[in-house]
Amino acid sequence: MGFDISRIITLSLFAATLRMTTPILFATLGGIFSSHTGIFHVGLEGLLDIAAFFAVVGSVRTGSPWGGLLYAIVACLVASLVFAVVHLEMKANEIIVGLAMNIFATGLTNFLLVAILDAVGFYQSPEIIGFSQVNIPVLKDIPVISELLSGHFPLVYFSFLFVLIVYILLYRTPFGFHLRAVGEKIEAAEAVGIDPKKIKYIGLLICGVLCALGGTFLSLSYLNLFSENMTAGRGWVALAAINFGEMKPLRSLIACLIFGFADALALRLQQFGLPSQIVLMLPYVSTLIVLIASAISRESKKTTPSKPQKGGQEVEAAV
Amino acid sequence: MKNNSLKTPFKTRLKAILVETFTQVANYAIILLLSLLVGAVVIYLTGKDPIAAYQALWKGAFGNWYKVTDTLDRSTVLIFSGLAAAVAFRTSIFNLGLEGQLYIGAFAAALVGFTVKGLPAVVHIPLCLLAGALAGGIWSLPPILFKLKWKVPVMVPTLMLNYIGILFTSYLIAFPFKDPTAQMAGSPVLEATARLPKLIQGHTVNIGFPLALAAMFLVHWFMFRTKMGYELRMVGYNPDFAASTGLPVNRSALLAMMISGMLVGLGGSIVIMGFFGRFMGGFSVGYGWDGMMISLLAQNHPLGVLPASLFYAALANGALTMQSLTGVPQTVVDMVKGTIMFFVTVQVFSSAIRRRLSTWVSTSAE
Amino acid sequence: MAEAIAVKEITKRFPGVLANDRVSFSVEEGEIRAIIGENGAGKTTLMNMLYGLYHPDSGQIFVKGNEVKAHNARTAIGMGIGMVHQHFKLVPSYTLGQNIVLGIEPRKGILIDEEKLIQSVQEISDKYSLAVDVNKVAEDASVGEQQRAEILKALYRGADILILDEPTAVLTDMETEELFVMLRGLAKNGKTILFISHKLREVLAISDNTTVMRQGKVVGTVKTSEADSCKLAEMMVGRETIEGRMRTEAPEIGDVVLELKQVNVLDERDFLAVQDVDLQLHSGEVLGIAGVDGNGQEELTEAIMGLRSLVSGDILVNGVNIANQNNRQIRETGVAYIPSDRNRAGVAVEAYVWENLIAGEYYQQPYSGSMSLRTRTIAQNAIDLIARYNIATPGIKTQTENLSGGNVQRLIVGRELGSEKAMVVVASQPTRGIDIAGTEAIRRTLLDYADRGAGVLLISADLDEVLALSDRIIVLYEGKHKDAGPVVDGIRVQVGHLMTGGEGECPV
Repeated sequence: MGFDISRIITLSLFAATLRMTTPILFATLGGIFSSHTGIFHVGLEGLLDIAAFFAVVGSVRTGSPWGGLLYAIVACLVASLVFAVVHLEMKANEIIVGLAMNIFATGLTNFLLVAILDAVGFYQSPEIIGFSQVNIPVLKDIPVISELLSGHFPLVYFSFLFVLIVYILLYRTPFGFHLRAVGEKIEAAEAVGIDPKKIKYIGLLICGVLCALGGTFLSLSYLNLFSENMTAGRGWVALAAINFGEMKPLRSLIACLIFGFADALALRLQQFGLPSQIVLMLPYVSTLIVLIASAISRESKKTTPSKPQKGGQEVEAAV
Repeated sequence: MKNNSLKTPFKTRLKAILVETFTQVANYAIILLLSLLVGAVVIYLTGKDPIAAYQALWKGAFGNWYKVTDTLDRSTVLIFSGLAAAVAFRTSIFNLGLEGQLYIGAFAAALVGFTVKGLPAVVHIPLCLLAGALAGGIWSLPPILFKLKWKVPVMVPTLMLNYIGILFTSYLIAFPFKDPTAQMAGSPVLEATARLPKLIQGHTVNIGFPLALAAMFLVHWFMFRTKMGYELRMVGYNPDFAASTGLPVNRSALLAMMISGMLVGLGGSIVIMGFFGRFMGGFSVGYGWDGMMISLLAQNHPLGVLPASLFYAALANGALTMQSLTGVPQTVVDMVKGTIMFFVTVQVFSSAIRRRLSTWVSTSAE
Repeated sequence: MAEAIAVKEITKRFPGVLANDRVSFSVEEGEIRAIIGENGAGKTTLMNMLYGLYHPDSGQIFVKGNEVKAHNARTAIGMGIGMVHQHFKLVPSYTLGQNIVLGIEPRKGILIDEEKLIQSVQEISDKYSLAVDVNKVAEDASVGEQQRAEILKALYRGADILILDEPTAVLTDMETEELFVMLRGLAKNGKTILFISHKLREVLAISDNTTVMRQGKVVGTVKTSEADSCKLAEMMVGRETIEGRMRTEAPEIGDVVLELKQVNVLDERDFLAVQDVDLQLHSGEVLGIAGVDGNGQEELTEAIMGLRSLVSGDILVNGVNIANQNNRQIRETGVAYIPSDRNRAGVAVEAYVWENLIAGEYYQQPYSGSMSLRTRTIAQNAIDLIARYNIATPGIKTQTENLSGGNVQRLIVGRELGSEKAMVVVASQPTRGIDIAGTEAIRRTLLDYADRGAGVLLISADLDEVLALSDRIIVLYEGKHKDAGPVVDGIRVQVGHLMTGGEGECPV
């Protein structure tokens, strides 16, 4: 083939991986909250879109990326509230509401792009103030580590920090405890006085906030602009990561890293004229494999006739 | 035994039918009007005249015969996609993989279109269409097979295969089947014998449109007049009941997915064979997703897919003209579509209308 | 001893049924009280009212001498009442300890204090001698251990009065013994225990007193040491002669149409729900399978209909073994099915009436050709069935969910029996939740069908129904069958006795 693999697999590739993982990771973490309350959130894509757009608007209006972040969070909270009301109060099917939200988000952002920012298709301007990269004090002096871990945008660091926060929230606090109970066995939660509806509302709102962080990163970091289709299906990818990770933050992080790596690698390969598409396919194929593997293992766990029977009789292998 | 023939008074039955018809018409009318109203408000807020904008919209979709046929052409792939979604949804399967099946089907048709030479159009065209349909159908099978064999829930695999399908075809036209002469990434040009002839000289609409109509009637007949269609629908209503009554649940699920994939694959093939003339990356502007929306709008009824598709196509065409004539951005139409989706999801109107009307009808004199 | 809990003239009505009719009794602190009765006797309703899930229409509830008003689950817990349901409410992936403290977790700042959790649960576990592995994941725990966790859940919240709903239904004999040891220990500790059961042997083994309910009323409360299983069975089911016997003429009994040989079937948890069941159903006969819900009836009917696989055994229809064939094949040998859960397995509620009516035969001549349905024939069939079976519906194109329960059931019966091709009818709880007129009609239809030569397998938890319709009765108890013989005077108590696990015959 005649290419030098050392020119492809470089340190900067891994640094790029972290950067490309961030938006997916935020969406995934958001989706994990929703999934744990029993709601399969198909509208993550729409939330990212809304966030990316309003982050730009906010940045222009306030002159600061943090202002942009604030706008994005508010917008996503509103959108998530609407989702919650339509699904929980009006009892609409969660998949259909999610799909409708994606459509609505695309329409709204495309339209507002023209209406507010007077641009078509995409908007770029020096007025958009993005985040600046951060050099971590000690790390920036260590040779290899510095390239890998220092000099990223703040949200990149946040995203990985949030993995820990989400983990603690879900598995170590009473709130997370109640939340997961609602999704896993709602009767158990109700029996001890937990209000499932309230939990689901909160879960959806938290999901909105996390997606806001992810969407903001898309438009206010590497490239300070907003374009239609900027989200590029990351909301769907997040669902795959959640499935792969079986709703666990750390496992899902691995899936996100795989996706991020594939994204970064594919970009690199394209520069060398190599088929990036095959590489880009890998995360999706691996999600399929993991889904099948988990399903198979769940099935085999069920038919283990090792429990004592009525009257103490064992049973031979079931038909 | 008590005389209880089904001849409930004609008047009662008539009333019931009228109530239902009126409810449906009223429901759609309200949704449409409200959404257009939202659009009008939005247009007004940007400082433009809503009336002029909507007039331009109408002109763009139906203004002259060329526009009308163009709208028909645009609606062709949407009809196929909508039918594909309808069949799956009616069987209670959320086939979210229509985009991927569309791409795979389109590529297969293109492949047969540019590799097979020397066939007369009368043979070549059906061959390409068949390839497209089969490929789309086959691509739709893995998720349902995973469900039947290993109990993997269907939705995420269909989504995954979307990407895998789009990426795979993109790879195919970037490397093995690359057309070196092309500016943008695409496959070699299809043989002339694989191109769909136009329906009317000088207009864009090709024989794909009548094919779409035929498909619609075929799907309607299949779903409502055949044994298999009945099975699909019953499984869609209640799989437990279907299993307890001996209906072939697994076979129905497989069939529904296969038909769904075949329909949308056919739609993609027609776009390539009728419009582009070669397989181009990114040729679909969300036809698969539109199909899902269309089906939901049509309450998953095959015959309803036609007006819904025409509506979407009209909006798309009209938006272009609206923008060029009045400066109102195309994206307003996206807002209208989004609002429609919102109301369809919420479904508040139809139940309320039906209830009010029923009580009014039964309490009114005579 | 002080009174722990008492009810006075409690009445509760649901649409169409008087669930509790002026129920009164009182339980002392430290007492183990059993509440027994058939399905529908009103026990569960009463317990739910004690726990605050329902409110009585009239009457009073007293807890520790104080009258209780405007009760709900929260206030119930506050008053020291804890309930352990038949189907456990544990989160499968949480540990037993976590399940026990769910909702009131010990905290350290904003986090859960894991150590305190384990410690406090262990304390309670030791205090009441209910051995539970605090760190074991719930879904890995044995059923007995899960139940102990459920009991601890109540005790952890300060329950002094425990209500247990059919606690031994899911336990092995050994686990039942262990439970009883624990319950005695709790009672000695001053806890009051009410438990609902239909298993008389166990009731006799563990309770101090037994309250018997029947048709919403309290029949009486006896000191358990002075009672025996026959007496209790008699109180539970009454000893009336068989009134309302619907089969007035002696039926013509023919050959065996359905035979089960040593059938064994597993339930969802891989336990043996049906054990070595034999039965023979003859043409023209109505064979009643009596028994309290949950003794294997569902699994048995599903196995016969090909909806659940058999572990071993044979099922023969007219001599042909249909064991483990699929539902359609079984139906084609001439078996009709009226499922117990009509809205889940009997009809598609959103479908039209005609669609539901043709579900059995749509694929056969004359209802369809090679591919297409013959809609006119199908419509005519629907009209016919509606007339013959008196299904009240505005039309054949009405959505089935608009029909009343009784009419839905008539629809199902019409569909299954209308073509008169079935030689075996498996009817499971056919009149549950149906109005009186509908009940009459369905029962009459089943008998007429038997008169025409079919064999009807009637599975019903309603003893009156079984006695009214059957020629012979078999009782299912814990998955095993006991032949109660032909329906003669005095059989009522025998069947009641067998339904509750009694052995041997009772004096008539």
